[in-house]
Amino acid sequence: MLVFDQVDYHYRRGHPVLRQLSFEIHQGKFISIIGGNGSGKSTLAKLMNGLLQPREGQVKLDHLNTLKHEDLGRIRELVGLVFQNPDDQFITTSVLDEVVFGLENLRVPRDEMAHRVNEALKAVHMEDYVEAMPHQLSGGQKQRVAFAAVVAMDPSILIVDEATSMLDPQGRRDILDVMHALHRQGMTIIHITHHMEEILSSDRVLLLSNGEMAFDGTPSALFSNVSIAEHQLALPFAVRLHQALGLNAPLCADWKETITSLWSMS
Amino acid sequence: MTDNIIWGQYINSGSIVHRLDPRTKLLSVLAFTLCCLILKTFGGYVAATVLVGGQLLLSRVPVRKFFRGIKPILLILTFTFVYHLLVTQEGIESGVFVVWRILLLVSLASVLTLTTKPLDLAKGLEQLFKPLSNWGVPVEALALMLMIAIRFIPTITQELDRIILAQKARGYDIKSAKGHRQVFAYLLLVVPLLITTIQRAEQLAMTIDARAYGNGKGRTSYRVLRFSRIDYVAGGLILAFILLILYL
Amino acid sequence: MVYELNDVSVRINGEEILQSVSCTLKEGKWISIIGQAGAGKSTFAKVIKGLIPFFKGEYTHNQQPLPRDSKGNMKVVPQIGYVFQFPEHQIFETTVYKELTFAPKVKGESPERLEEAIMMVMGQMGLSGDLLQENPFQLSGGLKRLIAIASVLIAEPELLILDEPTAGLDPISRTALLKQLKAWQGEKNRTVLFISHQLEDVAEYSDEVMIFKKGRLLVHLDVNELFLKHIAFMEQAGLPLPEPIQLLRLIEAISGRILEPASCREEDIMQLVRSVWQSRGLQNDG
Repeated sequence: MLVFDQVDYHYRRGHPVLRQLSFEIHQGKFISIIGGNGSGKSTLAKLMNGLLQPREGQVKLDHLNTLKHEDLGRIRELVGLVFQNPDDQFITTSVLDEVVFGLENLRVPRDEMAHRVNEALKAVHMEDYVEAMPHQLSGGQKQRVAFAAVVAMDPSILIVDEATSMLDPQGRRDILDVMHALHRQGMTIIHITHHMEEILSSDRVLLLSNGEMAFDGTPSALFSNVSIAEHQLALPFAVRLHQALGLNAPLCADWKETITSLWSMS
Repeated sequence: MTDNIIWGQYINSGSIVHRLDPRTKLLSVLAFTLCCLILKTFGGYVAATVLVGGQLLLSRVPVRKFFRGIKPILLILTFTFVYHLLVTQEGIESGVFVVWRILLLVSLASVLTLTTKPLDLAKGLEQLFKPLSNWGVPVEALALMLMIAIRFIPTITQELDRIILAQKARGYDIKSAKGHRQVFAYLLLVVPLLITTIQRAEQLAMTIDARAYGNGKGRTSYRVLRFSRIDYVAGGLILAFILLILYL
Repeated sequence: MVYELNDVSVRINGEEILQSVSCTLKEGKWISIIGQAGAGKSTFAKVIKGLIPFFKGEYTHNQQPLPRDSKGNMKVVPQIGYVFQFPEHQIFETTVYKELTFAPKVKGESPERLEEAIMMVMGQMGLSGDLLQENPFQLSGGLKRLIAIASVLIAEPELLILDEPTAGLDPISRTALLKQLKAWQGEKNRTVLFISHQLEDVAEYSDEVMIFKKGRLLVHLDVNELFLKHIAFMEQAGLPLPEPIQLLRLIEAISGRILEPASCREEDIMQLVRSVWQSRGLQNDG
């Protein structure tokens, strides 16, 4: 379980980025984090695996604490992080080496590496590109390699920070499929996004506004309770559709199913 | 601009030169460079040329690719040649030899980079210098640094191309700037490049940390370099050849 | 003004990355350019601006060939504005004022004319005049983006190229930016080339759409024609349909009726779907 306890963060004194954040995330959940540009989402992600440490309060993962230096190594093994720009998170010069890099850091024995590399690349459908170099890959492919590099390290929590925002529609769909497949295997997924369509299928949504938690609950509760526009968000298509047709049915990510079943019920 | 960069332009033809241990290649390039510096006789030059030419042939690197790689050097060579022609006593002769020597060194270096993956080069250097880590030299970290440099040269050149285009699109052609405006023109390039590169570096450092690098436990290594029989043979042959060159 | 390409091909490192493209860009149109990554969208835009040479074909402006330099290469077309991806990365001046006036100063505009242009462009982008003396590097990402775009608009381009101008922006900023750009385009009857992966935005704001696939121009047609009549092109290019269009298809399939909304914009589709939805009970009874 990941616990935020009264966490404050600022880069410059007097300019708080996050204020008094307290929440818990249970294993195996799919969580979406949303909020406008500059609301503190990325900072939150970096606090989760100890890339940043809280100025006040604590971030704990089970018995580990990001404030304890000796815990950091273990925390980073358990909490994987994929960032926005595929080019800036390709450290090495080939797909194989990229996936191997994290394993070497975890001191995985050499004989075990080949197997784990293979599994991770299969999970993102990049097994045919083992020897490819970064400049031979598209943005979407590079991003999938970044996922494989993290997945190979076998984290229990995967944080995805706007990893779909620079991709074409196909690339975006591929990444979302990978995330849902990993979630089905029991991984906790924390997805930071601007795309409202992507949050409907999550278990829980955290909405950040000016560094404070403006909402914490299910997607359908979010869209029925909070005045969204105020927090720099837009309504996803499914919600607009529900409003336009005056539907009372529960909100569901797959609006096509809702429409089809309601039509035949009349 | 970008396509003349030979770094990271590794082409795999599976030749015997490709299969050599990077350390063998690094050490022989080093020995050959030293040898070139003391090269005096015409016979020596011819023998050295045979050595470099032989390696080039053995490596089966496409000739076009090879020449494209060394093209940027040609300007420097012409300049050097003209300089020797006009300034030094021996004129033509000294010019020819200097240009010849540079060509030999550049060609061998190209063979090295065309037949060895940048990462293997970094690995080779890392293992060669491993003993220094006993003296507190952070060999592993330096090797990572080297690898990142190799990895990002093409990315940063692309970035530079993009900035040049963007300035051009705003009506400012860097190439047409003259006199003191040239300094300004370069500032226009360097400032955005520096800023994006620093942002990139920050992001990359974060990625490296997030992938649990340097957690104090040391690392294992997937690519382990081992000298094989061809390395001993090739090493011996190159050494013999270098001795021959020095003797001529 | 009309820009015309006739059978233009671009080759880089021996590879034809744009093949035999012919098209006419007419005045006053918002033309969206879509296609998968690597389909040639940005290359096409760069050819239009005169930033990269083509080895085959012709490029004319109002039936006149565009000027070339002494070596026969295309010159940059000054009356076209180009907003690159993440344009805020190109900012280099120390105040917003200097950044905005960079291009006009290169062109040698008079100071009076400059003041006027600055006030106008700041108003158009919804920026406050207080920002002018600020250091752009200290502003938020969203503001930097607006300033970078304003610094292109200030030159009053007759054709504006936007390469994914909303990438990385949150939904509210994204909609606000697109509405401002659309207003600018409509007011001045300018042409916009809009490269985007956001197909919902394409359906919402465009007059025409160009679809690229593997370096070729697959088709160039009216936005309503594309999304209401010829959606097969989208599939051919490996692109999904915008959600409102998917809704329209679904309702057609389950109702067995052919629906003809006034346009492919979400508002019109929703209106039609609502009326079909409300009448579905009656229809079933009858």
